[in-house]
Amino acid sequence: MRWWAAVAWIDQLLCEAQKTVDEAEVFFVKATSVSAELKQKKVNLATSSEDYGLGIRTIHKGRIGSSSTNNPGQWRECLSAAIASGKLATPHEWKGLPGPVHLSRTPLSFDASIRIEPQVDIDLIEKMLEGAEEHPAEVTAGSASLSFATVTLANSKGVRYTDKYTGVSLSLEAIHGQSTGYEFDHSPFMDKVDPVSVGERATFFAVESDNGKEIATGEYDILLSPLAYGELLGNVFVPALSGRNVHAGRSRLAQSLGETVTDPQISMYDDPLLKKASGSVRWDAEGTPTRRVDFIREGILKTFAYDLKTAYRFGKTSTASAIRGGFGGLPSIGHHNFVVDGKRDEVADERVVYIHNVVGAHTANPMSGEFSVELSNAFWMEGGEFDVPLRSAMLSGNVFDMHQNISGLSKESRAIGSMILPSIKINKQRIIGK
Amino acid sequence: MPGIQYYDLRHVNGQVTHIDIDNGVVESAGTSFFNKAVIRVLSKTGWGVLQIDNYSPCKGKKFDAILKSACRLAQITQENVILGDAPHGILSVPPMKEDPRDVCIEEKSALLSEIEKAAQHPFVVNRRANFIEKIEHVRFTDSSENEYSYEMCRSGFNILAVASRNGNIQMGYEREHSIHGFNLRHQQSLGIKAAEIAVALLDAGVAKSGKMRAVLDPELAGVFAHEAVGHASEGDLICEGNSVLKGKTGQKIGNDNLTIIDDPGIFEFGFDPVDAEGVAVCRTEIIKNGVINAFLHNRETLSSVGNGVAGHARAMPGEPPLVRMSNTFIEAGDATEHEIFEECRNGIFLKGSRGGQVDPGRGIFQFNAEYGYLIKNGECTKMVRDVSLSGEILTTLHGITLCGNDRTMSPGYCGKGGQSVPVSDGAPHILLCDAVVGGSGVD
Repeated sequence: MRWWAAVAWIDQLLCEAQKTVDEAEVFFVKATSVSAELKQKKVNLATSSEDYGLGIRTIHKGRIGSSSTNNPGQWRECLSAAIASGKLATPHEWKGLPGPVHLSRTPLSFDASIRIEPQVDIDLIEKMLEGAEEHPAEVTAGSASLSFATVTLANSKGVRYTDKYTGVSLSLEAIHGQSTGYEFDHSPFMDKVDPVSVGERATFFAVESDNGKEIATGEYDILLSPLAYGELLGNVFVPALSGRNVHAGRSRLAQSLGETVTDPQISMYDDPLLKKASGSVRWDAEGTPTRRVDFIREGILKTFAYDLKTAYRFGKTSTASAIRGGFGGLPSIGHHNFVVDGKRDEVADERVVYIHNVVGAHTANPMSGEFSVELSNAFWMEGGEFDVPLRSAMLSGNVFDMHQNISGLSKESRAIGSMILPSIKINKQRIIGK
Repeated sequence: MPGIQYYDLRHVNGQVTHIDIDNGVVESAGTSFFNKAVIRVLSKTGWGVLQIDNYSPCKGKKFDAILKSACRLAQITQENVILGDAPHGILSVPPMKEDPRDVCIEEKSALLSEIEKAAQHPFVVNRRANFIEKIEHVRFTDSSENEYSYEMCRSGFNILAVASRNGNIQMGYEREHSIHGFNLRHQQSLGIKAAEIAVALLDAGVAKSGKMRAVLDPELAGVFAHEAVGHASEGDLICEGNSVLKGKTGQKIGNDNLTIIDDPGIFEFGFDPVDAEGVAVCRTEIIKNGVINAFLHNRETLSSVGNGVAGHARAMPGEPPLVRMSNTFIEAGDATEHEIFEECRNGIFLKGSRGGQVDPGRGIFQFNAEYGYLIKNGECTKMVRDVSLSGEILTTLHGITLCGNDRTMSPGYCGKGGQSVPVSDGAPHILLCDAVVGGSGVD
C-alpha cells in the first residue's frame, strides 16, 4: 500500500474542516526508535518506541486555531478543539496557506541502510567502548539510539508532502578521579557518525582534564569549541534573529538591519538544502519551499527569520523558517541548518584558553546577551596542543559584544544539533578564577 | 511468563490547555490531548522497555504479546538487575480550591489578559503572558499485583515584561504554578512586579566578579540546594560513579545548621502521590546537620547503592522512570532576615533564579540570579543585574553560615535524560560566605 493511501483520513479531515473554516492544515508524524543505554560498561536498558503526532491548524477570517493529539484515530475531537481554539485567537492579516509546488521527492536526511534494530545499537556501543579504551578513564554512562520518522504535511490548498528521516545518535560519559568527559555524535547517516571517536574523546577529556590548575582572574584570548560556542549562540544570538522576537521588542538586533553586528569575517546563514546535514528539509513546517537564508553576510545583518503568520502580520515574506517543536507541536520560527562561516584559519597556534564546554549557558540573559558560565574541560593550548588543564573558572561577557571581537574561525566545523559551527577565537574575554 | 522477573506498566492520558498572549494579542489558545504508556520488563540481564502511544488497556494474549516484545528487547542487555524491597502505597491528592476545568477558556483568557495588561509601563516594549493547565490520569500496575491510579492537575502562568531604553534591553519575569487549583484570579500584582523589575534593571549596575559574601533569597537558595546537592545525591549517578558524593556518607560537608531534604510527599509543585514504579513516597534527609546522610533512590539503585529509600522514581508520560528530585529544600534555621543582613555587612543580595546546571561527577555547579543588590553596612543599596554563582559541591556548603527562619518554596521544572518534570525548590534566606560571583564588572 502506498503511504498516501494509508493516511486517507487526512483528506477526510481537510474536507470536514472546510465545512466550517476557510483553511486547514494537517501535520502528521509517525516515528519509531530503538535505543540502548549503558550503565558503566554494561547495557542496562533497551527501549523501543512508536510515536505519533498529529497537529491541526485552522484559519478562519484571520483567526488561527490549533490542537494536537498523539492519537490520529481521535482526529475529529482534535479538529473540533482546533476550531474552538481559533475563536479565541486575535484576528490578523492572513494571505493564505501555501499551495503545492513541484519539489524533488528524494529525501535529504534519510539513510536507507539504517536498520532500526537493537543489535545495531549494541554494535555502536561496542565501538564506543573500544574507543574509550584508548585512555584510562572509567565509563559511567552512554547510549546509542536509532530512529526513523515519516512526516506528512497536507493543507486545504492542495499541498500533500511527505518525507522520510533517519537518525543515529551516540553519547558517552567518562570520569577519571574527579574529572569528567562527555562526547556525542549524531547524523541522519550511519557513515557520518564515528562511534570509536566518541568513546576516545570522552575518555580523553576525562583524563586530560585531571589535575587542573587554577587560573588568575583577568582577560584572556579564548578558543571556544563548536560545543561551547553553540551553547552561547543557541541560547542568545539565534533567538534574536527570529522575526517574532524582533517585532515583539524581544531582540537586541531589532534596530540593526543593514548594520555591522559581528566582526566582518563572520557570516551566518540557514542552509536547509545541505547534503547529509541533520536539519535538511525541502519544505518547512508550514509547507513553504525552503531556501538558503543569509542572516549576516560579512558582519552585516541582512534579514530576520519569518514564518507565515509573522510575515503576513508585519508585511514581510516567509523565509521558510517554520519548525515544529516535538511531535504535533505548533509551528514556530526556528532554523534548519544554522551555519556560522567565514575565512578559516589556524586558531590555536598562539597561546589561548581552549574551552571545550560550558556549564549553565541557558541562564544567560537572552535579551541583553550578558552571561557568566562555568568552564568545563578547559585548557591552556599552544601550537594546537592541549597543555595545562584548568580546574575551575567562570567565563563572563556578552554574547552580542563577543561577536565583535572574533579573531579567527577554525578550519574544521562540527554539527551541534541543527547548528554547524567552527571553533571560534575571541580576544580579551574575562575569566574569573577561584 | 518465563524469563520475566518483574514488569510494570504506567499509562498516562490527559490534556493540556494553553493560552499565549503577546503584547495584547492572543497568539494561540486551546486544548491538546495525549495518551502514552511505558511498559518495563526486567529479565535476568536487564530492562526491556516499550514506549507505546495510544495505549488501550488490555489483558490475556494481547498483553502477553506486549510483554514478549519487551522481553525480546531485554535480550541485548547485560546486567543482572536486583530490585530493592520498598513499601507500596499511595497518598491522596489534595483537593483543588477551584478546579480549572470549571472555568471556561474565555474567562481564563480574560484573566490572563488582565495580568498581561498590568505589566504596561512607558518603558516596557513587550509583555508576554502564558497560561498552562495539564491534567494527567495516571494508572500503574505491576507483576506483584500492585495497582494505583490517580489524577493530577497542575496549572499556572508566567508573565514576562521586556523594558528597553537606548538599546539597553532588560526583562522581568514572574511565575506562579500550583497543584492546588486555578490560580489566575487577582494576580495583576505579579504583572506590575515583572514590569517594575524590568524597568529598574535598565538602571542597574553590573556586579563585580570575585569572592564575596552573598545573601540568597529563598527562591535562589532553593535552586542552590537543587543544583549543589540534589542532583549529586541521585542514586543512578552514585551507582554509575558519576557523583562526587559517592562513598562520602558520613562526611561533613556543611555546618551544623545545614539540613537539606527531598520530599515528594509534601503538597508542593513536585508532589507525587506515589512514585513512577509504584513505591510509596518518602522524605529523604540528604544532608543532616552538615553531614552527608542519604541518597535518593529507585528500587534498582537502592539495592546496588543502599543508604536511603526508594520512592524517588519519576517520569514524564510514556517515558521510563529516572531517579529524580521532587520538592527539595534547605530546612529553616533560626536567624531573622535582619540578622542575616547584619552578619553579611558588605556583600551582595541575590534574588530570583534563571536556573542552574551541575556537573555532579566533577562536583562543580553554576546558577544564576535574576537580579540583586549590593549590601553595604547591612543595608541593600544599588541594584545589579546578570549575576551568576559557581562553586564546588564538597567545599561551598561550608560557606552557608546562617539559615533564616522563613522558608518558602518556588515551583519550576527540572530536566534530566531528556525528560522534564515538575519540581519545587525552597529555602529560607541564607548567608553564603566566600561565594564565587560571576559578573562582568571589574575593579
